[in-house]
Amino acid sequence: MQPATNHKPTVLMVEDEEDTASLLKFLLERASYAVVHAKDGRQAQEFVDTLPTPDIVLLDVMLPFLSGLQVLAYIRGNAAWEKVPIVMLTADGSEHDIKRALESGANDYMLKPFNPRELTSRLKRFLAPAA
Amino acid sequence: MLALNHSDLTLRLGSMAVLCIYSAVILLLSGILLLRFIRLAKERRRRKVTEIWRPLLAQCVVEVPETLPELTPQEHLVFLYLWNHCYESIRGDARAQLNELARRTKSDEFAKQLLRARRLRWRLLAIVTLGHLQERSIWNELVAMLEADNAFLSLIAAKALLDIDAPATVPLLIPVISRRNDWSPLKVVAMFGTVGADIAADTIAKAACQASPEIGSRLIRHLAATQSQQGLPPLRALLREGTTSDDILAACLFLFGECSDPRDVATVRAHISHPTWYVRLQAASALGKMGVEEDEPRLITLLDDEHWWVRYRAAEALSNLPWMTAERMTQLCGELSTIESQEHMLPFMARSNVRKAGPLPSVHPRAQAS
Repeated sequence: MQPATNHKPTVLMVEDEEDTASLLKFLLERASYAVVHAKDGRQAQEFVDTLPTPDIVLLDVMLPFLSGLQVLAYIRGNAAWEKVPIVMLTADGSEHDIKRALESGANDYMLKPFNPRELTSRLKRFLAPAA
Repeated sequence: MLALNHSDLTLRLGSMAVLCIYSAVILLLSGILLLRFIRLAKERRRRKVTEIWRPLLAQCVVEVPETLPELTPQEHLVFLYLWNHCYESIRGDARAQLNELARRTKSDEFAKQLLRARRLRWRLLAIVTLGHLQERSIWNELVAMLEADNAFLSLIAAKALLDIDAPATVPLLIPVISRRNDWSPLKVVAMFGTVGADIAADTIAKAACQASPEIGSRLIRHLAATQSQQGLPPLRALLREGTTSDDILAACLFLFGECSDPRDVATVRAHISHPTWYVRLQAASALGKMGVEEDEPRLITLLDDEHWWVRYRAAEALSNLPWMTAERMTQLCGELSTIESQEHMLPFMARSNVRKAGPLPSVHPRAQAS
């Protein structure tokens, strides 16, 4: 986990695929966000219990130990994290997952493979522009 | 060694056997150590390339740097895996940057050499890479690979051809899809992922019309996964001409139900009294999804069908009709003339009642026991 600096909005990124995580981290840091990376559902749950509230959560659906939908339910069940915007990352064609995620409290979703430009512009909708 | 000087033949033979066993064990151990060493060296190389190129690839999605690290042939293999993974993780104009990176690292040339490699996994890697790079110079080789004995190789070649030039590939694929019974219909549907659902549906439907009933019916059933209605016109034409296969007919009725296009209701109705039971079954299921009020009596008639599964699906179809309520089902059940038909309605009535009542309150197992 990386320490988040005060002046940057923090993104909690929950992604198990190392290559995808590296790409997402690069794109987010380039857009001046501080990134906290959880490698699986269990670690994400741990972060929800121990870390200060981030500005946004980028959550993959397919995760080891706990699925993205389970993590989503856990986040929404935590009073401090209740209002945090959550963007789900889901595989193309999984309409059922998208429907379930939006019904369970996700604010938006992005399909994999994703467009890097679209990713940052989607996040900007939920976040104040980074310093 | 003392044993070798002994005059007794048995002892001599025994000693030689022991020596042979020792030599074999030493050879085996050396082999294991060598394999282990090779594996560790490969792992080290993979880690080194990944450490250098993973952040670089992320950077290249935005902009390719002026200078790039050199790649040895062994490192280039690892790089290609990383490059392909990165390519498949993104969409849009960022892919053009990755293509530029591939050209600058001469990955196109390297992949063309790999295309003739002995190892299948290297050939597959080369085909995927060259497909992503839309490398037209290997078109003929890929077309020849469509006929490869290895189903996986031929499917990957088909996907690469679609990546290079989809409109030119579709006419080539129709006869191949209709012929190859080792191509999973699900893989065929997935292969068209980037090309578009409409092209996929149209191609698969045309292939199904040319295929044997066994392959054709499997393809038609999987057409629903494309979520496109473009596959329907060729199948309607096939039914108009009059197909001789009940398997094809049943698969078409299944698809008509899934697509629920009102233009197909008449065809579905025309088959509820078909002599083959599984055709009647699919007609009943389809009517449950696309039928109107006038179809209710048709489904009620099927509740007296001679085949158990047709009666069951007809009851299920009745319960699926949009206007069907728990009260209407109870009334309907009371009006049925035979016990068999009433019995088929009961599970669906129960389901409908549960839905109406809402979820049951959860009871803790300990409270239940007490």
